[in-house]
Amino acid sequence: MTERDIERLIETEISRRRLLRQAGAGVTALSFASFLAACGDDDGGLEGGGGDESLEMEAIPKGEVSDELNFSNWPLYIDVKGKRRPTLEAFEAEYGTKVDYTEEINDNTEFFGKVRQIYAQGDSGGRDLHVVTDWMASKMKQLGYVQKLDKSELPNVEKNLLDSLRSPSFDPNREFSVPWQSGMAAIIYRSDLVQPSSVNDLFDPKHEGKVTMLTEMRDTVGLVMLGMGMDPEEASTDEMLEAIEKIQQAQESGQIRRFTGNDYARDLLKGDVVMSVGWSGDAIQLQADNPDVKVLLPEEGFMLWSDNMQIPVGAPNAYTAQKFMDFVYQPEIAADIAAWVNYVTPVQGVQEILAKQDPELAENPLIFPSDADLERSYIFRELTPEEDTEVSEAFQRAIGA
Amino acid sequence: MLQRHKGFLPWLLLGPGLIWLALFFLIPLYYMGRVSLLEGSDLEGYEFTWNFQTYVDALEAYKTQFGRSLLYAGAATVIAFLIGYPLAYVIALRGGRWRNALLLLVILPFFTTYLVRTLAWQTILDDESVVVDVLKTLGLVADDGRVLATTGAVIAGITYNFLPFMILPLYAALERLDKRMLEAAYDLYATRRQVFLRVTLPMSMPGVVAGVLLTFIPAAGDFVNAELLGSPQQAMIGNVIQSRYLEVTDYPTAAALSFMLMGLILVMITIWARIAGTESLMGAEAK
Repeated sequence: MTERDIERLIETEISRRRLLRQAGAGVTALSFASFLAACGDDDGGLEGGGGDESLEMEAIPKGEVSDELNFSNWPLYIDVKGKRRPTLEAFEAEYGTKVDYTEEINDNTEFFGKVRQIYAQGDSGGRDLHVVTDWMASKMKQLGYVQKLDKSELPNVEKNLLDSLRSPSFDPNREFSVPWQSGMAAIIYRSDLVQPSSVNDLFDPKHEGKVTMLTEMRDTVGLVMLGMGMDPEEASTDEMLEAIEKIQQAQESGQIRRFTGNDYARDLLKGDVVMSVGWSGDAIQLQADNPDVKVLLPEEGFMLWSDNMQIPVGAPNAYTAQKFMDFVYQPEIAADIAAWVNYVTPVQGVQEILAKQDPELAENPLIFPSDADLERSYIFRELTPEEDTEVSEAFQRAIGA
Repeated sequence: MLQRHKGFLPWLLLGPGLIWLALFFLIPLYYMGRVSLLEGSDLEGYEFTWNFQTYVDALEAYKTQFGRSLLYAGAATVIAFLIGYPLAYVIALRGGRWRNALLLLVILPFFTTYLVRTLAWQTILDDESVVVDVLKTLGLVADDGRVLATTGAVIAGITYNFLPFMILPLYAALERLDKRMLEAAYDLYATRRQVFLRVTLPMSMPGVVAGVLLTFIPAAGDFVNAELLGSPQQAMIGNVIQSRYLEVTDYPTAAALSFMLMGLILVMITIWARIAGTESLMGAEAK
């Protein structure tokens, strides 16, 4: 292996959606250990508990800004300058709060497995803020694991949040979640090897064994459903299962080489794979390595997701966490983050600011999708727990596990 | 003759090990057994109902992956033995002053993490790599074929990763082999083949037994190789358990699958012990 290869290996393995379970044994051991530790609790661990029906909780009370804030986020998901993190430093400078930033979230379900026992007991394990994807944010809310926000403390969010993200089905008034970044799941391909025009090109036998899809169920199934003419925002579970059936057949026939986290990046750069269901932010980073990497936002539509900031129950500095949520909704701050992470920013006014700093970035349709593109974007509908179990299980089985 | 201690000294010496086992093996085992018999879900909560149906359903749904795990682990163990035995033999009996250096080379890969080594195999085996080119030229791989994301790649990965676990016990057994026995056999006009089959091999059986166990057991539960070097058609039971725990958060099924894997491995070990002879399993020298 050349040095470059190793570098790339490391780069592709360590981008935002890295599924640590790829890293294997270590993680299983880790979450397993915390799982077992939790099992040792007096109430017998998993037994009992369950959903907290009472969502009539009080909003976070007003208070004083505290000295510290503990923020749990995904790796490579905030601006970095050398060894410093300018956004966090700006917050520290303005409020005198020390931000303890932990990149501990690598996978929604893995994070859930890690925190469910303590969250269920009303303890956040010291966390004040965590960031999880829409459907997990929904689950956290249904379980009563997150606090209700005081909207009067969030004027910037109120003013600058993108219209398309204001009322998702899982949190219509944005009382339990505020988007951190958004992104698109679409088709990423090697334009020198293939010219796809539709979602259904993923199933073209010409590309047998040269296609990957994401292990993130909602992104993969949603996109395939769009290719089948279904609407992921309205679809019945039967339709979802039909799409999963199609994916399973393609898997069994050898059409689909692998189901991946963002490690499809490596396969694409190598040319082992010509087409992947992938994430927009990855594509921008890949284009820097190989300009032949292109993104297709298919005619039939594509999936839009968000990762959301939430304040877990028992957070020691909930009021300060709320302040931080509002702080990053200032366009100047959001611009710094957007310029670094390359996902879709949920904050209005960022494009104008970036146009002055980095015009090329400001015109990138993957960071600032046009209204015409956004009309073709879909958000996977909220699933009830029963539906979620049924569909996730079918999907896991379709992808071979 | 060892002096027999009657006092508390033996307990003192056993203590740390026993406490360790109790804390990190027995207690987790108990909880896992309990979890496997729960009924319910994350949102509704769980209830303990002696729900053995989970075992039946899980076995029915994942028998393919169980079979695959045993097959892959078995194949990797056999290949590791075929590669490892000659290697251990040469190092132990013909290594001379290079012995320690050669042993170091066997252990050297452990200096890098398991994950990085497996990821490196992705690069070695990818579709455009030199290795695959050579295999295609030799006609071992079809011209439009591939190596990565196939059964061959997964078995090769497992073999590679667990090979040292096979070599080291074999080496230990061969190294302490009494050379005078070999000389005696030659004096009695045994051919080289006879010496090997009737003296060397039987006397190294404890090493063979240990090597096979140390390779087969972790290989059967492995999921990293199938995940990184395979495709969904190579998914092993470890991948299923992983996905049940972390993706579906279906803890009872995951726990039930883990128990069944453990049971299956115990059965395999018992069979192996019968074949190889209990005495060698207990570490005594074969007759």
